[in-house]
Amino acid sequence: MTNSVKRDWKSVLLSHEMLLLYVLVAEWLFFFFAGTTTNRRGVIVGFGTLDRQFDILRHSCEIGLLALALTPVIITAGIDLSVGSLLGLCAILFGKLWHDGGLSLPLAAFLTLGIGTLAGGLNATLITALRLPPLIVTLGTYSLFRGLAEAITHGAITYTDFPASFLFLGQERWLGLPAQAWLFLLVAVAVWLLMHRTTFGRGFRTIGFSPEGARYAGLPVGRRLALVYMLAGFIAAVAAIIYTARLGQAKADAGTGYELFAITAVVLGGTSIFGGSGSVHGTLLGVAAIAVLKNGLACLPVVMRLNAAEEMSGLLTGALLLLALTGSVLPKMLSTFRAHRHAAQPPSPSPSS
Amino acid sequence: MKSLLPRLGLIATVLFAGLVTASAADSKLVVALLPKSKGNAYFLSCKNGADKAAKELGIELLFDGPTDSNAAKQNEIVENWITLGVDVIAVAAENKEGISTALRKAQKQGIKVITYDADSMPDSRSFFVNQATPQGIGYGLMDEAARLAGGEGEFAMITASLTAANQREWQKYIEARLKEKYPKMKLVAVRPCDDLKDKAQSEATALMSANPNLKLIMAICSPGVPGAAEAVKQAGKTGKVKVVGLGLPNENKRYVHGGVTDSVILWNTEHLGYLTVYAGTALAKGTLKPGAKTFKAGTLGEFQIQGDNILLGTPFIFNRGNIDQFDF
Repeated sequence: MTNSVKRDWKSVLLSHEMLLLYVLVAEWLFFFFAGTTTNRRGVIVGFGTLDRQFDILRHSCEIGLLALALTPVIITAGIDLSVGSLLGLCAILFGKLWHDGGLSLPLAAFLTLGIGTLAGGLNATLITALRLPPLIVTLGTYSLFRGLAEAITHGAITYTDFPASFLFLGQERWLGLPAQAWLFLLVAVAVWLLMHRTTFGRGFRTIGFSPEGARYAGLPVGRRLALVYMLAGFIAAVAAIIYTARLGQAKADAGTGYELFAITAVVLGGTSIFGGSGSVHGTLLGVAAIAVLKNGLACLPVVMRLNAAEEMSGLLTGALLLLALTGSVLPKMLSTFRAHRHAAQPPSPSPSS
Repeated sequence: MKSLLPRLGLIATVLFAGLVTASAADSKLVVALLPKSKGNAYFLSCKNGADKAAKELGIELLFDGPTDSNAAKQNEIVENWITLGVDVIAVAAENKEGISTALRKAQKQGIKVITYDADSMPDSRSFFVNQATPQGIGYGLMDEAARLAGGEGEFAMITASLTAANQREWQKYIEARLKEKYPKMKLVAVRPCDDLKDKAQSEATALMSANPNLKLIMAICSPGVPGAAEAVKQAGKTGKVKVVGLGLPNENKRYVHGGVTDSVILWNTEHLGYLTVYAGTALAKGTLKPGAKTFKAGTLGEFQIQGDNILLGTPFIFNRGNIDQFDF
């Protein structure tokens, strides 16, 4: 009994999520010591300031939301490449409804959330009703949504002049945290509960592991998948509104490339790209590890002097992801290797020979 | 694997040494220069001037920007500089309103903010280093055209469109200068080219056949200059019909070296970067205050200030002698 409890502890401490947590803490400590300085005026500046920590939180909310949207999608062995483009389209529509349509901001936001969900529904219909591969469908809508956003604005119009009450959501603090962090937290908790505390959410894993098996087990696979893509569309719309509030502008290029950052965070967080396994807290850790790396690097004097924060963060994020992936398959490979060697050893001599 | 570990250790040591020496040199005034996009040759040319100014002033210059013209990344970089506590932030704004919220935040923290090339909202910065006023461009173009034509004869103008605000503004000053100083020159036609090189070329061809005495074509939109030059070259009128205009050095080099285009007018981007760093540093040191009428910037001398616009002054003329020094 004691032995098995011990082994459980060991497996928890060595689980992917825990390893990622160690990496995150190590990163954070490194940047805290190396990226905090005192400037000419004697003020403490850099990574170790509360302002910087809040900036990290503010800068990662949109990509964090998209990663939350993608976690269920990827767990069902699907993919959604269109979320970044959908963020752009929703931002533009939100701006247009308010600026040109004369709607109040809450109503415009409400309609935007509806449009986001419908756009997710388009992905869902093509994937479930026509049985097209998600990669191809969302590659199509990736171009379609961005193209629509550019067509609506002729690639030139930018919606600005939002009232301060709306910008509050993206730029001010509420109850001690950046205002949008509360929304992010709300969505994170909701998705976590869905994925980890409902049979409904657990069904997604079954589908990802084996869609045929799930179908035989009586799961309405098509309907569940549709829900996952519509949820992704909805969350992308939430991210669009936060993005608009943070920058005070809605432009057709909003969220360009965000889908790839989000996928990186999800995979780094331990979700299998083939579906069937993964966790929401893993994704959150993945988002945090990337955000801290990116923002921390920009605080290092050496990197600053090279003017290469963006390039360095791209490089190191890639390295981190590859390292994590290698790390996750290594134990399995080692054990198969050992088993193989064990099997290859000559059997003990039989008495007859 | 065995040889990798010591190597990693070495890299870490070098990095750490870099960190320590870097923070030891932190007592210099830090000016952070933000371009619209950092790979753009136009802004790299600004940076050359800025580097020169930083060296002369003994300050530290940071230069970082989005790799593409991305307004969201501009905001993130400014916010990063705020928490790094730089002394001056100088910005070429990709999006006027978008960047202004971040710049106001910087001002609240005591950081001096200045804009160059493209302005933000006036309340979010102290000064705008204005590279070209409509008057400066209009007068500069007309003066250069008159010089090339010898002060007399017919000339025609190619604009982007007859309605674009900046084009009309420039045209207004060109005509004012013409009336005031060059009575022997005659503007025979103004044709729009819709900002297209092909259209500029066909318009220029039409202008030459309709006006056999035409001495010069002036193009006031950047695709118009190479377009007009191509038309003149193909008509075999190189040297007979002169070409002058507002544009970028690179797209005109070929024609300038071929003797088709005589002068291309823009502003000196190196001077723009130089002046911006000087003005930002003076602002941080308190030697440049709102309300000042003039400002002296190192070897470039004195610049006029109109309201909160520091004027780079008369446009710069690129010709066969100097165009190869510029790459944008």
